[in-house]
Amino acid sequence: METEAGTSKEQNAINTDTNPFEIIEQKILALAQARPKGITDKDLIIEMPELPVKERAQIINKLLSQGHFDLFKQSGSLLYRLKDPSKAKIAKGADNEEKIVYSIIEEAGNKGIWIRDIRFKSNLMPTQLSKILKSLEIKKFIKAVKSVAASKKKVYMLYNLEPDTSVTGGAWYQDQDFEAEFVDVLNQQCYRFLEKKREQMNSCRGGPIMARNVTFASSKEVWKFISDLGISKVKLSVEDLEMILNTLVYDGKVERTLSSDGSILYRAIEPLLDSPGLIKSTCGVCPVRKHCYDIGDVTPTKCQYITEWLE
Amino acid sequence: MSVICRKLCSSILSEHFGQIVQRVAEDLFKHDARPLELICCTTHLPLTKIKEALCVLIKHGFVVYGQTERGLEYSLIHQNILLILRYPKYMFFVKTMCGDESEMILEEVLMSGYITASEVITKTYKKIEQSPSGLQPSVPVLKEKFELLVKNQFLTRSLCTDTVEEKTNEKPDFTLPDFNLAAVIKKIEGDNNSDPGDSKIYWKVNFDRLIQDLRDQIIVSAISRRLDENAGELMRQLLFLMYLRTASWAHTSNPIPLTEIKEAVKKINYPLLAHHLDQYLHLIEEDSSQFLKRVGESGGHFCVNMKEAFEQLAWATLENIVTERFGSKAARIFRLVRDKKYIEQEQIQQLAMIPAKEAKHLTYTLLQENYLQIQEIKKSGVSAAPIKTFFLFHIDLNLVVYMEVQHCYQALYNIMQRREYEISSNKRMIDKQLRMQTLTTNLKEHGATEEQLAEIADLMTPSEKQQLEKVQNTIKKLGITELQIDDTLFLLTMYLRYH
Repeated sequence: METEAGTSKEQNAINTDTNPFEIIEQKILALAQARPKGITDKDLIIEMPELPVKERAQIINKLLSQGHFDLFKQSGSLLYRLKDPSKAKIAKGADNEEKIVYSIIEEAGNKGIWIRDIRFKSNLMPTQLSKILKSLEIKKFIKAVKSVAASKKKVYMLYNLEPDTSVTGGAWYQDQDFEAEFVDVLNQQCYRFLEKKREQMNSCRGGPIMARNVTFASSKEVWKFISDLGISKVKLSVEDLEMILNTLVYDGKVERTLSSDGSILYRAIEPLLDSPGLIKSTCGVCPVRKHCYDIGDVTPTKCQYITEWLE
Repeated sequence: MSVICRKLCSSILSEHFGQIVQRVAEDLFKHDARPLELICCTTHLPLTKIKEALCVLIKHGFVVYGQTERGLEYSLIHQNILLILRYPKYMFFVKTMCGDESEMILEEVLMSGYITASEVITKTYKKIEQSPSGLQPSVPVLKEKFELLVKNQFLTRSLCTDTVEEKTNEKPDFTLPDFNLAAVIKKIEGDNNSDPGDSKIYWKVNFDRLIQDLRDQIIVSAISRRLDENAGELMRQLLFLMYLRTASWAHTSNPIPLTEIKEAVKKINYPLLAHHLDQYLHLIEEDSSQFLKRVGESGGHFCVNMKEAFEQLAWATLENIVTERFGSKAARIFRLVRDKKYIEQEQIQQLAMIPAKEAKHLTYTLLQENYLQIQEIKKSGVSAAPIKTFFLFHIDLNLVVYMEVQHCYQALYNIMQRREYEISSNKRMIDKQLRMQTLTTNLKEHGATEEQLAEIADLMTPSEKQQLEKVQNTIKKLGITELQIDDTLFLLTMYLRYH
C-alpha cells in the first residue's frame, strides 16, 4: 500500500528518500493552510482520492498528536483546522504536562486563569504545576498578570494577549490601584461642563422646552470637552466617560435620557428638596444616637454635640 | 407606637397642659382604651383632677370616648398630639392666606380646642385691644375674618356633644352661624347677660384641610425648585383644580381637562406661563419626579399623582439624609441600589466607581444602619458553600421611612428636653428679667423719671445680661430646630399616609 501511494505520486515527489507519509503530511498541511476555515474528510477524499481511509486516519492522527491541527465537529462531520503557528511553537520541546497546562491557559483567553483553577483542571501536583508554569513563563509562552479584583491573585494568560478590562480594571486602574482621585476629578469636570450648559438656560428666550433642551449634552460632547481639557494621561473612550457620567447620575446631580436618535443625553438638574430639617439639627446626624436615653452617659441635657452646636 | 413616640407625646403634653394631663395621657398610652375608674386606679390622682384632665384632652381632640360593654371608655389618639408641634406653621399659613386677625382667631380656637363663634370673636377683640400691634379691633371685621376662615374650611363645626348617643352626621359641616352681632359688642363692653344666640354651635380647627395645604406647599415648592416659578404656579393651579373634582387624600386626582387648566391660568397674572402653558405641562409631565400624568386617548387630560409625588419626595429626603450622615459617596451607593433594585457588592463598586475597600465599607455601614437590606440567593442543588450564594443589596423604602420617622421623634424629643433643661437651669434669671419688665412698665405708667428706670435696669449686671441673651438665643435656636425637624417628619408621614 505504501509503495502504491508513493508511486502514484511519483511525478510530484520531490525526494523519493523521504518517507511517503511525510509527503502526504506536507500536502495536507498545505491544503489546510490554503483553507483557513478548515478541511473536512470529504475535502481530503476529493484532493487525494487514492489515499486509503486507514492511512489517512493514521496521518491525521499523527498530525493531531503533534498539535498541528485542532479538531472540530461541524454539522456531523469532522473538521480539521490548522493551528496558529505561534501557538504551535509549544509543540516543540515541551512535554505532555506543559502542553496540557498551556492549553488550559489558552482556553481562559484574555481573562486569565487562577493557579488554583489550573490545578483543578489539570490534576497536577502544586509543586509540579508551579515548575511548569515557571518554565512556560521563562519561555515567554505565558505571563502572569495581577488582577484588580484581588491584589494578591495572579492570573495566567498567553504571552501575546492583552489582558481583559475586568483584569486590569480599564482606564481607571494603574498597577492594580483604582485611581479614585482621577475619577473624582473627571466627575467634577463633567459636572462643571453640564452645569455651564445649565447656565445657558437663563439666556435662552425660546420658551421653557427650548430652554431645557439647551441643557442637554450627549456623552460625546462631554467626551470631547474632557479630551480637549487634556487632564487625562490615558486615552479615554466615550464608554469610559459614560461610566463617569453615570456616577453623576447616582450622585443625583445629573439626569440621563435617551434622545430620539438613540444616543444618551445628560443634563444637570436641581434636586427636588433642600436638605431636610432633620439633619440640620445635631440629633439628625448624631453618631451616638443609639445610646441616647434620658439617663446614662448620653442624654440630651448634657449632650456635648448639642452644646457645641448651640455655641 | 414606639417608646420614643410615647415619650415625645408625653413631653409635648406636659409642656402645654401640665403634669396632670400628662399623667392621665401616659396612663392611656400604656393601657390603651380604659374607663375612668381604672385610670384613677393606676394614676393615684384624685377623680376630679382626672376628669379635668380628660376634659382638656377631649376638648383638644386627643382623647375620644366610646360606649363599650365595659362601660364608657377613653382612648388616646396620639397623632393629634403630634399636631401641636405644627401649630405655629398652621398659624403662619393662615396669616399669609387671610391676614393678621384671622391668625389671632385661629390661635384662640387652637388654644381652646373648640369654641363658639361669638366667644372667639370676643376673645380676639380683647386681645387685639391689649396688643401693641397697632391693629384696630372691630367686631364686624372680625366676623368677616371668621367667615373667611370658615369659607376656606380652616374652621369646621365641632360635633362634640354632651351625651354619647347623639352622634350626628360625620361629614364636616361648614354652615355659617347666624349670631347677633350687637349682642357680641355688648358682651365685649361688659354686659354679661346678652346672648349672641350661638351657645351650642362650636367650632374647631379643620386640621385635615391645613395638612392638605401644607402638603400642597411642599409639592409646589418642589416643582418650583426643579423647574421654575412659572411651573410652580402651574402646579398650584393644578392642585386647585384637583380639589374641585377629587376626594381629599385620593392617590391620584381625577382627570383635569386641558381647557380648564387654560382658563385657570388665564385668571392669574403669569403672562409667561399662559404663553407657554403646553410646554410647561409637558415639562412637568416629563420630569422624572412624575407629579403629573397625561391620560386619555386625545391626551387632553392630566392627573396629579400624589402617591407617586410623595414617593419621590421621600426618596429625595432619604437621599439627603444619607448624604449628610455618611457622605456623598454613600449617597451615590444608596441611589445606585435604588436604581438597580437588587445589586451585588461587586457591581456596586464598579458602577459607583469607588475603590473596592471604601465601597465595601460604605455599603456595609449603610447595611448596618438599616438603610440597605441584604438578600441571599442560593443556587439550587449545590452545596451550601458561601461561594455559591449571591448577596444582593436592596432598599425597603417603607422600612427606611419608618425608621427615619422614629429618628425624627427622637430628635424632637431630645431638642425639647434640652430646651426645657436650658429654661429650668436659667429659671432664676429669666424670672428676674420678667419681674424687671413688669416693674418697668408699671413705673412707666405711673410716670417714673428716667433715673428711676435706669436704677431698675442696673439691677441686672452686665454679665447677667450677657448670659440672659445667650440663653434666649439658645432657646430660640432650639425652637427653630424643632420646627425644622417637624418639616421632615411631616413629609415622611405624608408618604406613609399614601403608601
